[in-house]
Amino acid sequence: MKKKKIFKTIAIIAIAGLLIGGGTALYLFNMPHRDVQSAQADFTLTSSQIVNEYLTDKDAANAKYLAADGDSKILEIAGVVSKISDDFDGNKVILLKSEGDKSGVSATFTAETNKNLDGVNVGQSITVKGVIRSGASYDEDLEMYENVILEKSDIVNK
Amino acid sequence: MKKKILLSVVALALISISTFAQGTKLVSTKTHIKFFSTTPAENIEANNTATVSTINKENGEVVFSVPMQGFEFQKALMQKHFNSDKFLDSKQFPKAKLKGKITNITAIDFSKDGTYQADVEGELTLKGVTKQIKEKGTVTVKGNTVEVQSKFNITLADYGINFTDGKPSSNIAKTVEVTVNAEYQAE
Repeated sequence: MKKKKIFKTIAIIAIAGLLIGGGTALYLFNMPHRDVQSAQADFTLTSSQIVNEYLTDKDAANAKYLAADGDSKILEIAGVVSKISDDFDGNKVILLKSEGDKSGVSATFTAETNKNLDGVNVGQSITVKGVIRSGASYDEDLEMYENVILEKSDIVNK
Repeated sequence: MKKKILLSVVALALISISTFAQGTKLVSTKTHIKFFSTTPAENIEANNTATVSTINKENGEVVFSVPMQGFEFQKALMQKHFNSDKFLDSKQFPKAKLKGKITNITAIDFSKDGTYQADVEGELTLKGVTKQIKEKGTVTVKGNTVEVQSKFNITLADYGINFTDGKPSSNIAKTVEVTVNAEYQAE
């Protein structure tokens, strides 16, 4: 009688363990990408502020903004539109750069958010939200300043 | 008077330098870099459209600066693995770089529409490890735009990227195919 009870308990624990383990594995395998736009922004800055932070101390800025698993900080950046272009996927790319700054913030939009840029023109002040992919720095091989790169972007207000 | 002459000489020099630089360098921010790995277990693909590249039309110097966190995978977990310190360690090494020279640059006529073969020799730096590379590509000139395409293989172990056990060791190819596509405008 007692033996049967012990056996039953072990069986229940084993099945529960299998279910939890299998469920976790399935969840991890099919884990969705983070939804950048519905997540809270980690920092709110102007394009000049983040460019200056990077040009002053690139390593400190990388430590602050980049995450080891690639889900880096979500930023809201306010700035002046200095260029509008398309990337190879047909997504809109907005460069926010103040006059006199050595580099700016390049924000790539998505298939869902491209249309929100309709009517936005060069010279306009806007705020975009996106995930940071890399920072600004002077590259001596390119012989130019690289921009801060945001992706998965959307416009916050016009 | 002397000062004036000196100033105008300096101004002239600056103008000629800037026009010279303008004429020789092509810049691209419209780029596509793809990693493709194939094993019996599965095919894995990652795409990056945030790379910056330059080509110097005079001496053939070509540079690609690749933000590693810009690689997008279909599966979120793969992307996390790719960025982690076990694989590319993109927080420590946010950018990969290709710095090379088109050795037959004189064979490419940037003022004439056409498709030209380009031989590129140089260095590829991935995860802080620099290796010599020698690859081929094509340069297509069409009006004011120049397009570059190339496809080559890299062996991950050369750059200290090793997976010895678990799923990654069976599902990720030891050698991955890299496809590069970039569209340049004169600076």
